[in-house]
Amino acid sequence: MNAYDAVIVGAGVLGAATALELAEAGLSVLVLERGAPNREGSGTTAGNLHIQAVHTRRPGQAVPLDSEALLPAQKAADGLWALAEERLDADLEVRRNGGFMVAETAEQRRELRTKHVWERRAGLRTELLDGDAARDALPLLGPTVTAATWCPHDGYANPLKAAPAYLAAARRLGARVEAFTPVTGLERRGPAWRVRTPRGRHDTPVVVNTAGPWISDVSALAGVDMRMSPVAIQMHVTVRERPVLHHLVQHIGEGMSVKQVTAGNLLLGGGWPARRMDLDGRSSAGVAGLTGNVAQAVRILPFLARLRLLRMWAGPLAATPDEMPVIGPVPGREGLYVAGGTYAFTFAPLWGETLARMIRGERPRIDVSAFAPDRLTAPAGDADPAAPAHTEKGTAPC
Amino acid sequence: MSADTAAPAALTADAAVVGAGPAGLAAALELARAGLDVLLLDEQAEPGGQYYRRPGPEVLDAVGDHRPEGGRLVARVRAAGVRVLSGHTVWGVDDDRRTLLAASPGGAAVRVRARWVVAATGAYERSVPFPGWQLPGVVTPGLAQHMSAEGVRLGRRAVVAGSGPFLLPVACALLERGVRVVAVAEAGRPYTPGPASLGALRFPARLAELASYAARLARHGVRVHQDTVVARAHGADRVEAVTLTRFSDPERVVARHGVDLLCVGYGFRPQADLPRLLGCAVDRDPATGDTVPRLTPTGRSSVPHVYVVGEAAGAAGAPTALARGRAAALDILASSGRAPDRGERRRLAVHLASLAGFTRLTAALYPAPAELVPALARRLPGPTLVCRCECVTADAVRAAAAAEGGSDVPAVKGGTRAGMGLCQARECGPALEALRAGGPGTGTVPARVPLRPLPLAAVLELADTPGEDV
Repeated sequence: MNAYDAVIVGAGVLGAATALELAEAGLSVLVLERGAPNREGSGTTAGNLHIQAVHTRRPGQAVPLDSEALLPAQKAADGLWALAEERLDADLEVRRNGGFMVAETAEQRRELRTKHVWERRAGLRTELLDGDAARDALPLLGPTVTAATWCPHDGYANPLKAAPAYLAAARRLGARVEAFTPVTGLERRGPAWRVRTPRGRHDTPVVVNTAGPWISDVSALAGVDMRMSPVAIQMHVTVRERPVLHHLVQHIGEGMSVKQVTAGNLLLGGGWPARRMDLDGRSSAGVAGLTGNVAQAVRILPFLARLRLLRMWAGPLAATPDEMPVIGPVPGREGLYVAGGTYAFTFAPLWGETLARMIRGERPRIDVSAFAPDRLTAPAGDADPAAPAHTEKGTAPC
Repeated sequence: MSADTAAPAALTADAAVVGAGPAGLAAALELARAGLDVLLLDEQAEPGGQYYRRPGPEVLDAVGDHRPEGGRLVARVRAAGVRVLSGHTVWGVDDDRRTLLAASPGGAAVRVRARWVVAATGAYERSVPFPGWQLPGVVTPGLAQHMSAEGVRLGRRAVVAGSGPFLLPVACALLERGVRVVAVAEAGRPYTPGPASLGALRFPARLAELASYAARLARHGVRVHQDTVVARAHGADRVEAVTLTRFSDPERVVARHGVDLLCVGYGFRPQADLPRLLGCAVDRDPATGDTVPRLTPTGRSSVPHVYVVGEAAGAAGAPTALARGRAAALDILASSGRAPDRGERRRLAVHLASLAGFTRLTAALYPAPAELVPALARRLPGPTLVCRCECVTADAVRAAAAAEGGSDVPAVKGGTRAGMGLCQARECGPALEALRAGGPGTGTVPARVPLRPLPLAAVLELADTPGEDV
């Protein structure tokens, strides 16, 4: 039996960032991970830092997300990513070189104009460009691009380095990490939670559920029905290429993100559904997602056609019925917190800080009440009937 | 070849055989002779695989054909009506887990649907890193043999090292090209008479073959060091020298030779990625440490329409590969209602069992890779490059493998980029698996699409080809 000030379930980037915040505040922290740290959603994501307003639907996504409502959080996350490497004393390959969101159709151009207004209102500096201006700025763009927004803050970080660096920094401050240790029980015992694992049990007043695709499973251990669905999406990467693309390129109307990572590989994603989700093993990437993603990426960035595909992989993530993030205390379960959902990678530094402030009774940097978990734990009858509890296919890339 | 390679985008056949080495050729021949429509896909420019590698016309003129029996087998396969698609790389499996995806030499997308799939995808050479293995002039024995067979002299002074019977013919092939082979270093002690080698008496032909290699090496004054491994290759821009040490006592230096060519390999390991993508169950072979498909004696996998033959079913040499190819074909014919001669199947089973006896004997003579590779990996100096594609050192891999609370192979890959480069762990996979401390999680490198780097242009074309024409 061990006692901790906080137990975090899930050693992905959200769990790791939260562990650092809490350890820095002087709390004794234990991170429990069912497999190897950073192996699931956080280690398989594209690693985009989405700062400009995002497209609202990815391939197969049933419900559009409210991208205007995300803007304050994106702006705040941008500021925290700017400081992350210095704070963690680690190279996360953070590249904040800006990004383009392109449009092809008239409808997509309208969407760009609308979101440009939202961005200005949120105090985010973006520029609206017509097709030729966009090609002047990024000559790699293909002829079908008729407009683009440019955001100097967009970027990416290496998802293979982010969570491990947060975990390492947390460890330096005394946090403990137990890998290959699934949580098998969550019981309220007086003022504390008893967290059971096959390797022992731990008492703690605070449990943070950052289990990604397993959020609902972990919530269920505490008797909470959290309406989230795991989904698996896939990523595609080319062989290394000399540095040619310095910006993140996304599409306003379709799930697509392309960038060149620090190692030189071009990484193609956009939330394309995986062939099969396997939460007990590895989800597998499929050819349908590959051909779909490559076709659109080559249309927008024709130079890609001469590169070679090196590898593709799939990873799971946690989707909410409304495609929006979830963060905050779980209603009716004192000391139980949850964070996850859309753009978890972009929001990791912010959600880590936000959870730590909530746990310590402080005011978060931004108002996150719109993302509170109560909308997911209310009896299903109260939910918006238009929002299905499960999205069968792909969802937001993190 | 052009008649063979002009292919429409979607092909169907009774049987698709992947890999035109001994096993694939034997299987294709047997199936086609019984009247099945057979498609044989192979990534090389000419059928033959690595063993019967066909020389190009200019090589044929200059040095001749070192394995003419391969050419004869290919001719029979063609005569039997097998559709041979050379230069076609099978790079994946479609989402139905049945349709093979290939790229033609021109990069065109080809989908293949067949009632049976025979994976005869061969083997990789088993490499184990050592300091200096990235230097030019350090090659695998297989490459040295191919280049020698094609008349290329790879160097002037060579050491051939590693483990397994293959090292001897490679040394002889180098001698034939005028390379001075200074020494052969064998990690085990197979050439010292002992109880294990007595079994060889049951296989006089194979014994005679080995003896003839040994005699040729002796004639040229090639020293055969046993219980000896490469500790380090030295050199600035290319290999200049090699230090050999005792395998059983790494501190003891056996010799240091000046060389400009160093061939190092520890035998072969099955190339079973395609069966894995097709959903075939795999096991870890306790003796080799390799991931091998779970098969019946006739090569049928856990996926009933998928057979795995040849080296892909477990490295055992060309005679076994030929027999396995035929056995799988006869099994397919039996299940397709064409009752092959029962006596023939029985004779083949006996033949296969006898060959398996020889394979077991060989395995007993040489150190088991499942022990040899981890032993070598454990003693690697920290700065040694384990992953040459992504420049990841042994220390970095060890640190990732020793992560607090445990780690596994995918986590080590993710944490270090080892195995994530151009070769996708084909070279460093065994070492990565060996450097993992054990414990929970996945101990193997996963099989992924594409099996070989694939032009995105070919992916684009795939999007336009019909997927459901069967």
